Amino acid sequence: MKRFWWKALGVLILLYVFAVGLLTPIKPGIAELKVGNAKAGQTITIEAVGYNTHFAEAANSNRVWLVQGADFVLPALQVNALNENMLSLQFDLPPFLPSAKKREEFSLLFDNPIDGRFISEQTIAITQDSIDSQQGKALWSAAKVEDLSDRAGMAFPYLAQLKETIRNLYFHVSLWFAMTILFIAAMVFSIRYLRHFREEDDRKAKILTTIGLMYGVLGIITGAIWAKNTWGAYWSWDPKQNMTAIALLIYFAYFVLRNAFEDQEKKARLAAVYNIFAFATLIPLTYILPRMAESLHPGAEGNPGLASQDLDSTMRMVFYPAIIGWTLLGLWIGQIYLRAERLKAKLLDDFT
Amino acid sequence: MDKKYRFLQNYILLRRLVKSKNSGSFTAQKQGTMKKSCLLLLLFISFSIQPASAQNADFMQSIGKMYVVVAVIAAIFIGIVVFLIYLDRKLTKLENQIKDHDPT
Repeated sequence: MKRFWWKALGVLILLYVFAVGLLTPIKPGIAELKVGNAKAGQTITIEAVGYNTHFAEAANSNRVWLVQGADFVLPALQVNALNENMLSLQFDLPPFLPSAKKREEFSLLFDNPIDGRFISEQTIAITQDSIDSQQGKALWSAAKVEDLSDRAGMAFPYLAQLKETIRNLYFHVSLWFAMTILFIAAMVFSIRYLRHFREEDDRKAKILTTIGLMYGVLGIITGAIWAKNTWGAYWSWDPKQNMTAIALLIYFAYFVLRNAFEDQEKKARLAAVYNIFAFATLIPLTYILPRMAESLHPGAEGNPGLASQDLDSTMRMVFYPAIIGWTLLGLWIGQIYLRAERLKAKLLDDFT
Repeated sequence: MDKKYRFLQNYILLRRLVKSKNSGSFTAQKQGTMKKSCLLLLLFISFSIQPASAQNADFMQSIGKMYVVVAVIAAIFIGIVVFLIYLDRKLTKLENQIKDHDPT
């Protein structure tokens, strides 16, 4: 049990990640807004398609507003729930917009006691022919948004483009983080090898690199599957995809280099030096360069894997354990590999 | 029809590959069967997964794209299994070496 605890911990953490990561619902949100031409002074009809919403169940307590910022608000004239996920809205637009522009974008704010409040990502453009911003401002700030409800229970954020696939954060993104941890550990053992020239350190460095590379390849594959269903192609030659592919190729070359030498010591020394350089290229390739280029992949603002607004506190509760869980599982597989390699070395010593 | 044909082609190609590498001694023969079963397993997995990814996009887009998450988890699972097969083969090799050198 003493030696076994971290393996059990890794498995328990991953079980938690799978259970909570897959069973927690996604917050309600708006998948699509169907709207014709919207002009100031008209009465317009909007059809809202919801996701995970309970419009029919909430019945008459659905409330909707057209909003811009915190100041300009227009309540819906009529709100009709067609079914759980369909809402038909009618707005009586005032004759002027609250600005001097010909065209303004407005969001829709939804509220009902079951789903709580949520805002549509998609905006509605309203145009006006004659401009009177003074009167427009007065008309748009007549109403107030009050008594908004809160949704009960834990849920992951809703993004119209991602929907349920936001859960891939625990299976794709955390795999990359685990890979980085394993590569760091591999580099540490490479440095240790160069200081003491112990065969065991070289073995550990090699195995940690193998596991890290496996995670990297899985990261690329899972990323491609996710990309196919989000951006439309398995590989879009995006800077982030390209740079990580290059970084992985550099790590593949580590094994090519190892196989090129017969002499055990020469092999270990060169591999250790190469591993340190490989890690030195990994960081700029995956953490620095992609941030300097335009990318489909989120996270250019800060964190390389994810945009900060996508990662709320409920996701952190699963995401950070996921990194630890994948790392521990990797270490377990690595340990089995290490024991096999130790046996092999012992056999070589015994029989030669 | 096309898919079936491709599957058969791959199968014949892999069998040839396995046969050509499967030479002489006892251990090599044993490894050959191991290799063959591993390859067949992989082939089976890749074949059975093909319809899910290549078929129609509608399936992947249904239920809020939940099947994308399923596919990602399946990919990770298959990846880890492939690595375990690799480890398994390594250990089998070691076991055979010990057996070959055993004096009794």
